Amino acid sequence: MESQIPRSKSQLPIPDYQSSNSATLKVDRVTKRYGSGATEVTAVQEVSLTVAAGEIVLIRGPSGSGKTTLLSMLGALLKPTEGTIRLDGTTLSELAENRLPDIRLRQFGFIFQDFNLLSALTALENVALVAALAGAKGKEARKRAAGLMTDLGLKERLNFLPEKLSGGEKQRVAIARALVNDPAIILADEPTANLDSKIGHEIMRLLRRIAKEQNRSVVIVSHDQRIKDIADRVLWLEDGQFKEMVTMATDPVCGMAVEREKAAAQLELDGVTYYFCSRGCRAEFEAERRGQVVGDRLTLQVGRP
Amino acid sequence: MSLARRNLFKDKTRFALSVGGVALAVMLILLLNGLLQGMNAQISAYLEHAPGSLVVAQDGVRNLLGATSLLPPGTAGDVKARGAAKVVPILSQFIILDLHDKKQPVYLVGYDRAQGGGPWQLTAGREPRRDTEVVFDRILAGRHNIAPGDTVEIMDRDFTVVGLSEGTTSWMTSFLFIRRSAAETLLRAPGSASYLLVIPSDRVGPDLLRERLSHLSGIEVLSKREMIANDLKLFGRLFSAPLQMMTAIAFLVGTLVVGLVIYTATVERQREYGVLKAIGARNGVLYRLVATQALIAALSGAVIGVGLAYGASELIMALRPQFLIVLEPAESARAILSGLGMALLAALFPARAIAGLAPAEVFRR
Repeated sequence: MESQIPRSKSQLPIPDYQSSNSATLKVDRVTKRYGSGATEVTAVQEVSLTVAAGEIVLIRGPSGSGKTTLLSMLGALLKPTEGTIRLDGTTLSELAENRLPDIRLRQFGFIFQDFNLLSALTALENVALVAALAGAKGKEARKRAAGLMTDLGLKERLNFLPEKLSGGEKQRVAIARALVNDPAIILADEPTANLDSKIGHEIMRLLRRIAKEQNRSVVIVSHDQRIKDIADRVLWLEDGQFKEMVTMATDPVCGMAVEREKAAAQLELDGVTYYFCSRGCRAEFEAERRGQVVGDRLTLQVGRP
Repeated sequence: MSLARRNLFKDKTRFALSVGGVALAVMLILLLNGLLQGMNAQISAYLEHAPGSLVVAQDGVRNLLGATSLLPPGTAGDVKARGAAKVVPILSQFIILDLHDKKQPVYLVGYDRAQGGGPWQLTAGREPRRDTEVVFDRILAGRHNIAPGDTVEIMDRDFTVVGLSEGTTSWMTSFLFIRRSAAETLLRAPGSASYLLVIPSDRVGPDLLRERLSHLSGIEVLSKREMIANDLKLFGRLFSAPLQMMTAIAFLVGTLVVGLVIYTATVERQREYGVLKAIGARNGVLYRLVATQALIAALSGAVIGVGLAYGASELIMALRPQFLIVLEPAESARAILSGLGMALLAALFPARAIAGLAPAEVFRR
């Protein structure tokens, strides 16, 4: 069944191309333990997860629940103790350590809470550097970075040092850096934590469009409740295990994010399930649909010779 | 290259410190080496300019400056008879002068003006024509305000300074030149010679002559090169080791300065390097990054250090002319290479820090 996610117009444009690099990330019974013997700690325990291309998954949970460890394993920064992580045909968890940097460089885009831009480089250089690491020549790397940043509304900020940029601009530079090598998966760690509410919303919408319009998978670890609004699924991680899974939908009438399992009302129509925040919205939706159907019929009758 | 350069120049004070540290170290290395070279040049100066290719000394004496030699009577005739084109006798001795109440060691050379073995360049006056005349080393004379026409006491006898010689300075001891007959009187060795500077005849050649002279008793025959080498070895034993140790310390200090600065800069940017690692930069890329930073700092410092060394050597020689500092282009090139060595060694410290960075740490706050 198809979920209904609002495609609200973002104030921020996004690069106008589809990723040529869509992939499905599959995590199968992954466990991560640190230490051994009496000091052994299990950070993540038998977690399974599939992230489809174009899907946004939000992982939430209390501090110390294993979110960061899981995110690190998803991004090939850390190897699981047990279980497998696969990106399409490649089993990341079995790859030799020296092959992982290339995978990270080309398949993953990382977005951090603290932006983590290189302070000595300009915004443009921060993005171009990552393209250059993947093999783009200097001029080509800069051109690609400049194009991407222009699309993200940073044309006037290309040659600014990070210290001269606002939080939102820094995060957009970080997003451009994450996108510059056309990755299949975007991994974002608290991407809105250091941003004010308005900019946080912009960044959320931007991430949503990156997922939906460019068909990239986006995995977000965050405490920010608002991110539920853009997520396709919300996973609750506690003590290293998924305790609760919430699938999000959007009320097609008022646009509110609704947890499917807790929706006040739902309606199945032509094989599609719609979820509503209230019975009132469902009634309005039904009335609209009836009118639309009647209208369509009228149009057909009028058009008939 | 760009990131390395930007990282370095972002903190200008730190960059200046690292460049300055290397510059001072390289300057010190060059000056110490230059001093050693200068000392060697001063030690070998007399024999380099003296006539002949063989030196005959008293049996058992194998250097000019570190021993007292007195040849058996008639040695000059014997040497000449065995195939020498020319034999130049000198009578020499280390003596202590009392100049303005300061004890000053000098190397006194008694020579025959007609045969050679005296000063090879005069900056003032003339060579001694009488047994009461002396040629003083120019620098030594300058240090004691002695000018041609002045009288100095040498071993309880008065001598008139008639000339000043050039290139006969040493920071340990300088050369004085008097007539050999005057030296015979002073040293109470009439008709004697300390050394013979021998020019072999074309017919016999140095090797054959040396072989022939080896049969004479009471003498030692060495080539001039061997004699110079022995003098250098003797003084080298005294001064080379400490100077070389100081050079090594300067190299070490320079390396540590660059290493510490680049290490601190790396540790401060550890998170940024972690981010690069997380994004997909390999360790090799990061090693190159810190090595380039170290290289830029060390090479900039080395080039500035070479310039400083030339300036400082001129200053030192102007203020203390007894110190000869010889800076050769090859030494400067070596100093720049040592800067390169410093950079590579210095890069080891931060490279270790980078190697130990776990990319997953980038998500930790």
